[in-house]
Amino acid sequence: MPDAHGIPPARAGSGEWAVRADGLAIGHERTVIDDASFRIPTGAVAAVIGPNGSGKSTLLHAIAGLLQPRAGALEVLGTAPAQAQPQVSYVLQGTQVSRGTPITVRETVRMARYRTTGILRRMRPQDHERVRSALAELEIEDLGGRHLSELSGGQRQRAFVAQAIAQDHAMLLMDEPLTGLDLTSTQAIDRLIHAEADRGCTVIITTHDLDEARAADYVLLLGAGRIVAGQPQEVLTTASLTRAYGLGLRHPTHPMDTQPPTAHHGGHDGD
Amino acid sequence: MTADLAWLTEPFTLGFQQRALLGGCLAAVMCAIVGTWLVLRGMSFFGDAFVHGIVPGVAAAVALQVNPLIGAAVAALVMVLAIEAVNRQTALSEDTAIGLLFVGMLALGVVIISRMDSYAGNLTTILFGDILGITASGLVVQAVLAVVVITGGLILYRPLLALSLNQQKAELLGMRPNRAHAALLILIAAAVIGSYQAAGTLLVFGLLVGPAATAALLSRSIPAMMLTACAIGVASVWLGLLISYHANTAGSATMAIIPVVSFFLVLAGRWARRRVLPASSHA
Repeated sequence: MPDAHGIPPARAGSGEWAVRADGLAIGHERTVIDDASFRIPTGAVAAVIGPNGSGKSTLLHAIAGLLQPRAGALEVLGTAPAQAQPQVSYVLQGTQVSRGTPITVRETVRMARYRTTGILRRMRPQDHERVRSALAELEIEDLGGRHLSELSGGQRQRAFVAQAIAQDHAMLLMDEPLTGLDLTSTQAIDRLIHAEADRGCTVIITTHDLDEARAADYVLLLGAGRIVAGQPQEVLTTASLTRAYGLGLRHPTHPMDTQPPTAHHGGHDGD
Repeated sequence: MTADLAWLTEPFTLGFQQRALLGGCLAAVMCAIVGTWLVLRGMSFFGDAFVHGIVPGVAAAVALQVNPLIGAAVAALVMVLAIEAVNRQTALSEDTAIGLLFVGMLALGVVIISRMDSYAGNLTTILFGDILGITASGLVVQAVLAVVVITGGLILYRPLLALSLNQQKAELLGMRPNRAHAALLILIAAAVIGSYQAAGTLLVFGLLVGPAATAALLSRSIPAMMLTACAIGVASVWLGLLISYHANTAGSATMAIIPVVSFFLVLAGRWARRRVLPASSHA
């Protein structure tokens, strides 16, 4: 049953695992992740962490069905990524909008309903309600009539997150959703991540922040072409972090009192 | 008063001027619809190259005495396929491929025309159009193409809106960006082919980009931008024909220059408004 905002509970449709990878190799021009096997539990908040160029964005692209694996098997929500795409919402990293493009925040969020309405059908009352509740959840109702190009980076990011949650989805992918945001936007998106998990949606975020990764239910640590996956306390060990980040890492005595390798919210990964 | 009214209406009492006005207006509407997406997606250079790319097709069709529309369509197809091939086979940026095809196709067109008996006349007609030479049957073809462009523009609105964010976003929203882009190319080809006789291959670019760019300065939404571009395009055709009649200037060129002048007038108006009005009143 939909909740008070008309948002239906996430459809798992995949049993225990939201993502299953076996012997996975992915990359654009070159292979950045090779022979990786891991599972992400359904309904978990999973953090993907690793150095620049380790393949975090590439992994999300593969899960979203935007990139074919080079080898191995990848299953998302119990099926092939391309088949699962209608149930996956994805907030891309730093989507740019040219200054002269007159697209408002409300229009941007309304696009989320295109999968349901198709290219010609009118929006139904429940579609309007989903748009309204997404704007409310991200606290950007007052920005509905503003152009994307008139917003700050944080406001624009919240608009794209609102677009993602206004889609029908059982999985939410977010590529560095908190990078470069102010406190208000960070808190709004952080609340949203937990609200999504509470309703049974699997949330996968990429991050450079070790504290964010520790707060997740599940962690995938990328580096040197490999993935180490599991509970934060199992994965974020000194040995694993040193192996993933190589030289330049401080030497933490215990994973839970380390300083993050790049504990910041600035800069883009671009991998 | 009566004299003023006559000054406005007199040119359009003649049959060929009426056909020119109608043909020009159909061209303006087609160009405004596809021009809006060209401007929004940063494809103006592609549009420029595209309109010049049909020159050899039209020239070859004239030389072979077949319908120029067929030649234009074949040249448009060759242009698009060649740009795609360069993009797929090399790591060069898309504007390099477009630039190469732009020069190559235009030069080929001039070479073909130079082998014809009436070199200067044919070149002028193809490059600068012959709006006063639009025939009744030409109007029918234009009307059919206008229906295709308007219908296609409505059907493609959502996919192209999503694509104006980026290709991946459009795919994630289920809007099939590759098909939408290919369909847009077909609409551009239809608009250019349906407009080149009115404005010429060189000047049709003025109708493609001028009204849409001016409308972008004045509009708060894409549908408003499209309608404003249509209005500016139609007004440019009417005013251009009026001026060309009274000032005895080239009809197509006069018509094409007006949207460009409009753009700079609007830009100057915005600048003046910012200078005159306090910052708070237009924030």
